[in-house]
Amino acid sequence: MDAISSRRFPALAGGLGRVLLPRLFQAGLVAWLVGTLTFVLTRTLPGDMAYRIAAGRYGHDMVNSAAAEAVRAELALDQPALLAYLHWLGDLLRLDLGNSLVSGEPVIHELSHQLGHSLGLAMVAVLLSLLLGPPLGLAAGLRPGGWWDRVSEGLASLLRALPPFALGLLLILLFSVSLGWLPAAGHGRTAHFVLPALTLALALAAVSSRVARNAMVEVSGSAYYAFSRTKGLGERLSFLRHGLRNAAVPIVAYLGVQFVYLIEGVVVVETLFAWPGIGHALVHAIVARDVPMIQGTALVMGLMFVALNTGVDLLCHGLDPRRRQS
Amino acid sequence: MSDSLLEVSALTIRGEGVTIAPVDFSLARGGRLTLLGETGSGKSLIAQAIMGTLPKGLSARGELTIEGDGFAAAEGAARRALWGRRLALLPQEPWHALDPTMRAGAQVAESHRYLRGLGRRRAREAALHDLAGLGLAGAEARLPGELSGGMAQRVAFAAASAGGAPIVIADEPTKGLDAPRRDAVVKLLAGTPERGGALLTITHDIEVARRLGGEVIVLRQGRVVERGPAEQLLSAPRSDYTRQLLDAEPARWPAPPPPPATAEEPVVEARGLAKWRGGRELFCDLDLSLRPGEIVGVVGPSGCGKSTLGDLLLGLAERDCGEIWRAPGQRLAFQKLYQDPPAAFSPHWTLARLLEDLVRRHRLDRDAIAPLMARLGLDPALLARRPGEISGGELQRFAILRVLLMEPRFLFADEPTSRLDPITQRDTLALLVELARERHCAVMLVSHDPALIERVCDQRLVLGGEEAERVPEDLAALAV
Repeated sequence: MDAISSRRFPALAGGLGRVLLPRLFQAGLVAWLVGTLTFVLTRTLPGDMAYRIAAGRYGHDMVNSAAAEAVRAELALDQPALLAYLHWLGDLLRLDLGNSLVSGEPVIHELSHQLGHSLGLAMVAVLLSLLLGPPLGLAAGLRPGGWWDRVSEGLASLLRALPPFALGLLLILLFSVSLGWLPAAGHGRTAHFVLPALTLALALAAVSSRVARNAMVEVSGSAYYAFSRTKGLGERLSFLRHGLRNAAVPIVAYLGVQFVYLIEGVVVVETLFAWPGIGHALVHAIVARDVPMIQGTALVMGLMFVALNTGVDLLCHGLDPRRRQS
Repeated sequence: MSDSLLEVSALTIRGEGVTIAPVDFSLARGGRLTLLGETGSGKSLIAQAIMGTLPKGLSARGELTIEGDGFAAAEGAARRALWGRRLALLPQEPWHALDPTMRAGAQVAESHRYLRGLGRRRAREAALHDLAGLGLAGAEARLPGELSGGMAQRVAFAAASAGGAPIVIADEPTKGLDAPRRDAVVKLLAGTPERGGALLTITHDIEVARRLGGEVIVLRQGRVVERGPAEQLLSAPRSDYTRQLLDAEPARWPAPPPPPATAEEPVVEARGLAKWRGGRELFCDLDLSLRPGEIVGVVGPSGCGKSTLGDLLLGLAERDCGEIWRAPGQRLAFQKLYQDPPAAFSPHWTLARLLEDLVRRHRLDRDAIAPLMARLGLDPALLARRPGEISGGELQRFAILRVLLMEPRFLFADEPTSRLDPITQRDTLALLVELARERHCAVMLVSHDPALIERVCDQRLVLGGEEAERVPEDLAALAV
């Protein structure tokens, strides 16, 4: 049976299929788990859902029990939980995420809007972190124990230990309040990108610089690196031809782990900098008990995590020829 | 002295408990010199001092003359410009010396491209020509992980010598290779002086020194014990140490006691065993059976699956195919003896405490320890020391003691003496065989040295032997 499938789908039976097929399965699993978990969690939150939703729609001052009852009746909030869950699952299978309870707009419509903003921010943050972290880490790794290695280790520990909101606040205090160089919050101009992206990028770069440093120490201590030098290639060529690729594999692979931080950071950073992205939307949806919005947002974030990790896998696949052997 | 390629005068190396006493030698065109000595004799440091790659904490003194240019041994960095162009170093473990993510052809081609300044395409052609000359045609697209130990050695040789350096330093070039592959590497090395270069070989293998000929220097603990022409020194040694070293060669070991004539049931049996790793077949359709007291040797180059076979028999790894049958009985009867004794002991406790823990954990007979220690020639005073405070040979005998306390019926000994010097190796193995016979314990002994296996074992198993004999006869055709 293996022989047949490899003849019919050579690309899938080869190395690439082994990367993509498990990820596809994982995406399905993530969608179901995230949806179920958010459903259970929002149902168990304290407080009356109908009140919260009414408050979200009409404002806190305008809510009374009549309005809440109207919402309850309209959204059928008193139906059994299991029935509501099965409804939602059925809709999900038809790729229908439902409508926002607050705005009445289709969730998918709102999400597509916000997702673009979030992806933009995340991409800038990752690129910025890759420009900062690995080069500084590789420099530290070429001279382990040197002054730069020690300084960068201290900096990295400090930056990674600070939670994103604290780091963001510090950056706002420094660049917006004291120096007045950059806007503290908002969206629309390039300048608005700098602080939120930097907040995310610094912590990401802190970790990837250490990963890069350790990878470089290992590579430069390896027998093949020594052989490349005694072969006569010299420091520069040895680094370019044998150092970079071998050190890049763990750096890229570790990015996959770091995306957890990125996604968690997006929620906090968007809220802090009033960035109209998916994380911002998630926080608002939770406050307003907008269950379809919460489910939709969490689902998109979960799938985004899977997609980013697939990207990492593909990159590793391209970098390391050993993975391409069947 | 115009044809002298390498002259070393009064080279000393010091630091971190190592001292290499002054060494002098000179290599003319066509010259060959072999530094012979056991592990820890400092012979590799001499190669590193010449290259200028001594580890931190060690410093060299003395004068080097390389193709007429003088260098101070202390200034290692000054010789970097010579690497690949005038000095070539053949690495110890070729498998690890090749970039695991770069194909074999590219690793040779880059030497042609960057050292000889050839264009991309001509460098590639030169690399293909080199590889074909070494019997590696068609291997250029393989990754190092897909090469056998012998093939990797030849690829590393091609990559190291592509720059055309007349002086070749080979540091333990035959480590872990079996006899045919070792002889092929020796032939390959001998090509350098035949073409008018000079060869400095560092080895602990007397057979390599014998085959290479030329001059031999015997080193012990950093001191020159004896030197002279190979034929003379190796056939009529003057010093006691050289004589001991020669006697410790497995081929000269006394014949082992005959295998016990036993009709007992096998302890462990395997039928049609197969194992794959990383898309490569380690072995397939392997049949074997071990009776009590029988010693079976396993030989093959590093990475051929010797340790994996042991793990399969012990039940520590999963087989891909075939059947394994183990004699019923207690689980502890299947034991393993490890290669590196210090790594097999907890370093922070005394040996007495470690043995006591073992006795308590498995409810063993405490009284068995003293007689066994006497048999193994272990002084009771050693019990008060920690594993790091006794010699490797003593520690490995403690490891044997520890294993025998469990009353094993099958013992998998994974290169148990490869980290020991030749003399200790001989004594330790003789003891192991004697005790195994006495206690009806079947032993599977792994070694990369076929002569040793031949001497010690009742049966022999060769793994990874298919691609061994692909070295062409005429290696002089190799382009320098």
